[in-house]
Amino acid sequence: MQVRWLLPAGIGATLVVQVAHAAQYMSVEQAQRAAFAQATQFAPVAVAIDAAAFGVQPGWKPLVWRALKDGETIGWFFEDAVIGKSELITYALALDAAGKVTSVEILDYRESHGGEVRLAAWRNQFKDKTPADAVALDRDIRNISGATLSCRHLTQGVHRLLQLYAHVLAAKP
Amino acid sequence: MKHRILALAIAACCATLALPARADDATLKAEMDALRAEVAALKAEVEQMRAASAAPVATSKPAPAVNAEPVPALAATTAPAGGGVDSGYALGANTTLWGYGQLDYNRPTARPADARADLTRAVLGFNHVFDESTRVYGELEWEHAIASADDAGESEVEQLYIEHALAPNYGVRAGLMLVPIGLLNEHHEPTQFYGVERNFVEQAIIPSTWREGGVAGYGNTDSGFQWDIGLVTSPDLGKWDPTSPDGRESPLGAIHQELQLSKAHDLSLWARLNWLGVPGLNVGGAVFAGKIGQDTSKQFEGDANFPADNARLLLGETHVRWQSGPWDLTALYTRGTISDTQDLNLGFLGQPTPVPKAFWGGYAQAAWKALAWNQSSLVPFLRFEAFNTGAAYATQPQGFGTPALPTQRVWTAGVNYYLNPNVVFKFDYQDFRYDDELLNYGNRFDLGIGFQF
Repeated sequence: MQVRWLLPAGIGATLVVQVAHAAQYMSVEQAQRAAFAQATQFAPVAVAIDAAAFGVQPGWKPLVWRALKDGETIGWFFEDAVIGKSELITYALALDAAGKVTSVEILDYRESHGGEVRLAAWRNQFKDKTPADAVALDRDIRNISGATLSCRHLTQGVHRLLQLYAHVLAAKP
Repeated sequence: MKHRILALAIAACCATLALPARADDATLKAEMDALRAEVAALKAEVEQMRAASAAPVATSKPAPAVNAEPVPALAATTAPAGGGVDSGYALGANTTLWGYGQLDYNRPTARPADARADLTRAVLGFNHVFDESTRVYGELEWEHAIASADDAGESEVEQLYIEHALAPNYGVRAGLMLVPIGLLNEHHEPTQFYGVERNFVEQAIIPSTWREGGVAGYGNTDSGFQWDIGLVTSPDLGKWDPTSPDGRESPLGAIHQELQLSKAHDLSLWARLNWLGVPGLNVGGAVFAGKIGQDTSKQFEGDANFPADNARLLLGETHVRWQSGPWDLTALYTRGTISDTQDLNLGFLGQPTPVPKAFWGGYAQAAWKALAWNQSSLVPFLRFEAFNTGAAYATQPQGFGTPALPTQRVWTAGVNYYLNPNVVFKFDYQDFRYDDELLNYGNRFDLGIGFQF
């Protein structure tokens, strides 16, 4: 097979493509808008977390917003990060006012390994989950073959945030 | 803006302190408490705003705000350590260290004297992030515990490549890369497969861990397609040793070069397409194709030096995997051909291992997570494999031909016990249709330990 021309052609194509694209990720504001189109305000909520109770490392501090429409709570929005295979995945979770998942968005996925968690079909599995659900890989969340670590860690992350909602936020007025 | 609110709140607090002394003490105290609480709340909000505006990286997040409402202890939390402490170890801000290990014990039932305990693999990997879109991945491996001139072990670089993302969902790589074929080659950590040893098909036909050097593109689409394409070094058919059983154990394993002063006259292409559009499903296939003669003498002296100058390798693979609830079901088929081996094999007459024209293998596997508690689980599995490393040979003059090898069939039944998802203890029994002492094939019990971090 005459493949000698492929190498320079490939490098040329790469350079062209590189000029055309810069990494684009969803910002927190974009994700908030996408999750709660009708919200009039996103109020930051300070939460103090007893790390031991959640079985997490000290210093775990997801960012939490209350989505408000004309002063009334219509849902909750979280931004957190978990390790994918070896680097951080930043993601957003949106819950409705009753604590049911409405969406999971990947804001930033840095490495290529396991990047398939960005697939909408996979993320949609979290829809309608509540703190009462298992939200565990291979139980009510299916795996992506070849992206197991990212799937597992993200599933654990969503599970943690649901528990945070149930034990801390649900009680807030 | 929040800073101004904070300042105003503090000013208000000070003003309150300066209230005329005739104010009622109790009222004053109540007002001060209320203001204190308000200041604390504002402080927390400001802190959160700051955290939000800074790069939202978990490791650099500030300590939790000091305010009320500690989280009540969870009655039964199944949440593991947060922030992913179980995956990789950060060496500074941009470098992560990871690794895995595999220790095996094999005991052939008919030849107990051949029982072996082995530190099969100790692997350290790293990735270093140069910038948002560029990183380097490396994987260093020691096999069989000790590698030296007098020992059986090997020390190897399994992967070493630069990856540059052109967009969040596609990019390019260059260096020594794992061939994206089959289910095991790229994901070969012992926690990722069932049974003490890797399946035979993805050792004998797809020579895991198979890597080549070159350039490649990768990506995935929103509709669930995962694609790879690469231009890489080829195996070198000139390495074939007709006196050794290596070529019968794994034809490609005997001639791949692993970027060890690789002959690079002939290059190969790889292409892979998987569809992951339904959660739990992975269906797809891959092709590796190229010339493997590697002899540069052809340009000057015709075909005289190496009789298989034009030999081509074509290896195809297709698979389907379905993971749902406790079930993990897999089927994989792969087949390879090597062309232009007739003259080469004629020169190998009388030797035990000619070059095959065709080789193939397939397996079906079912695993079932029978028990799961806390972080642990017990996963029995059953696998059936059929493979043939010499399914056909190039035709030769009457009386000189090589008959096809018999198809080996192996049943493996066993259990993976995951202490946690990253530490596994394994036990299995393997039943072979044909014993083959040279290749270490024969019914046996296996025990294994594996981990990854």
